[in-house]
Amino acid sequence: MSQSVNDPHFILIAPPDSNRVTLFQQALARLRQPAACVVSYLDLLAGRIKLSNIVRANSLLRIESPGQEFEIEKALLALGASVADTENFARITAQEADNLSFEKGRILWPRQWYLGFCEALRLIEQQLADCAGFQLMNAPQDIALMFDKPRCHTLLRNQQISVPRSLGIIRSFNELVERMQELRCFRVFVKLAHGSGASGVVAYQTNGRQQQATTTVEMVRHKGELRLYNSRRLRTYHDGREIAALIDELCRHNVQVEQWLPKAGFKQKTFDLRVVVIAGRVQHIVARLSRHPITNLHLLNERSEVEAIQQKMGNTAWQAAMDSCERVMRLFPRSFYAGIDLLIAADYRHHAVLEVNAFGDLLPGVLWQGQDTYAAEINAVLANQSPHIAVSTN
Amino acid sequence: MAFEEHITEFAGHPVIDWNAEESIQDPQGTMYRISLSYDEQEGTTPWTEKLRQFFGASKPKPMVRWADKFNLFLDTPNAHQVTGLVIGDWRLGDAQDSASVVESLVEARDRLPNLTAIFLGDLTREECEISWLEQCDVSPLLNAYPQLEHFCVRGATNLSFGQLQHQHLKTLIVQSGGLGASVIHEILTAQLPQLEHLELWLGIDDYGGDAKVPDLQPLLDGNLFPNLTYLGLRNSEIADGIAQALANAPVLNGIKTLDFSMGTLSDTGAQALLTSPLIPNLQKLDIHHHFCSEAVVQKFAHLGIEVDTSEPQEEETYNNESWRYVAVSE
Repeated sequence: MSQSVNDPHFILIAPPDSNRVTLFQQALARLRQPAACVVSYLDLLAGRIKLSNIVRANSLLRIESPGQEFEIEKALLALGASVADTENFARITAQEADNLSFEKGRILWPRQWYLGFCEALRLIEQQLADCAGFQLMNAPQDIALMFDKPRCHTLLRNQQISVPRSLGIIRSFNELVERMQELRCFRVFVKLAHGSGASGVVAYQTNGRQQQATTTVEMVRHKGELRLYNSRRLRTYHDGREIAALIDELCRHNVQVEQWLPKAGFKQKTFDLRVVVIAGRVQHIVARLSRHPITNLHLLNERSEVEAIQQKMGNTAWQAAMDSCERVMRLFPRSFYAGIDLLIAADYRHHAVLEVNAFGDLLPGVLWQGQDTYAAEINAVLANQSPHIAVSTN
Repeated sequence: MAFEEHITEFAGHPVIDWNAEESIQDPQGTMYRISLSYDEQEGTTPWTEKLRQFFGASKPKPMVRWADKFNLFLDTPNAHQVTGLVIGDWRLGDAQDSASVVESLVEARDRLPNLTAIFLGDLTREECEISWLEQCDVSPLLNAYPQLEHFCVRGATNLSFGQLQHQHLKTLIVQSGGLGASVIHEILTAQLPQLEHLELWLGIDDYGGDAKVPDLQPLLDGNLFPNLTYLGLRNSEIADGIAQALANAPVLNGIKTLDFSMGTLSDTGAQALLTSPLIPNLQKLDIHHHFCSEAVVQKFAHLGIEVDTSEPQEEETYNNESWRYVAVSE
């Protein structure tokens, strides 16, 4: 099959070595589509590549996760150094960002990273402003919004999507304790406002006499400085000073605090669902089972059959939950897909949307109607099934 | 393990959730769970309404107390025929103890003449850690239902049985991460002539399980509960010591099932059980979730009785110290 320059073709903005790129290329190959052109974040940020030189009519652009590659993280931190912020969150200079050396799992200025990432997304938009006839699979501004948990939560709540109650703006452990008492809410999740996966997540509970914080975060004191590291091993802190130090440190980078709603149990574990919505429809679903309150997949939790859960909920409750996921995506009309974290309540009747993940479609090996997520997205975008897809008319 | 799912069966009957405006279709064959969902717990009161407006939450809805829901249940046709109740989450977000629930149940005594089974506290860990679950003096409840046959309570914090006398109780289960010696004393001085199934989850000292082997001695002597056929001393960190004390204890003469599961039983305690002259007279021995060696596990197979040796555990080592964990603590 010969390809003309005007045939649809994919362009990925991604770290070239990431498994997301590999898997997407494999999906294209299986569908007998030409390989995607990969634009490296580093090249883009350094000005070595301009999208206007690459993007043509019928280009299908997919912005991928910048991932955990340290050089990209440093570049985004450096980029964020010069961005003005609304509040005084923890910052480092571009020079300091450049001098950072790699430490496995270390949480590095996530607020500043976010400012840098938004800047990168703006750069993409700017460069695309000169291009015509392309399609974006996910809009930069939608990605920015999904990566801002407080803002995203507000949007969902205002649109009457069922979400856990937010505790509002929290800037310290003391404020958290006060707000919890005020609202008589004794179990909360404290999450980095701009973290992904289980990064910087703390499940905190108190009854006024005892308290405990279960978390993926390890605290290390280094020359008087408190450093945070993500680890796969869950820790439980009981000591009030330790918990305060942890929460205070997370607050310096901006946090989203929500009521910890009791999740349903299944097979002697607790779970939530990752629901991938593609082209406006719920498609791939996995249950994330855990022996702990924190259920994210990369913590090596088991995937499990969703059907039994669906059956246990009954059709009405299940359909309401799926409808919520599709309604969420209607709030992002310029995004073709996202992965939604959905809580099923302990009573198997209620549900709540926990997170909207811009890059939450990485579910290797999970099939729906014989296709994995990437194949489903490729087929759908090629068929231009989505009424929402943004077609640039510049 | 921990409790991650609500119970699906109690006293031999299936358990289903009851929700407002639902009918009671099988009052004799089904146990009904009455539990507040977070949605009901989160309704508004006048002062939370102010906060609601501040945070811009969606439309107001009334907050539901457990007692309100229970009263709706009592007003439902067939409620008076119900034989079993499972009490789920009753708290309003707050760490509120079960006293108000016990009070509601006591008040309803004349409206539930057939009630023979109560499970008090079917909360999962996602709802409340077992050691944080606050109970109360449950003796008024047991006194209010003299026809009760099965009683299970989860959580031993602030739990008390008072000076209990009950003529019909056959099953008494206390599930806990730490059962205090004082509560054990109350149970072992209770007058329970019909008791057949006594199941105590002893838990660990860190969570209030401060009982030592001598605290259990009156039980081991075998004169307390003449009809006892099942004895469970489960989830215990002193399982080895209990096994040694129990190996020749008269209580074994009467019982058919000895349940040592979920605890820290190791070869030390297992050897005592294996050499006991009384153990082979049992019908069943349950030690699942244990720390015994493969060789010792093999020996149980030759006892000639049913032995559950599943879920072998490994000691964990921190700072050159070995730790054995019970199944449920926190």
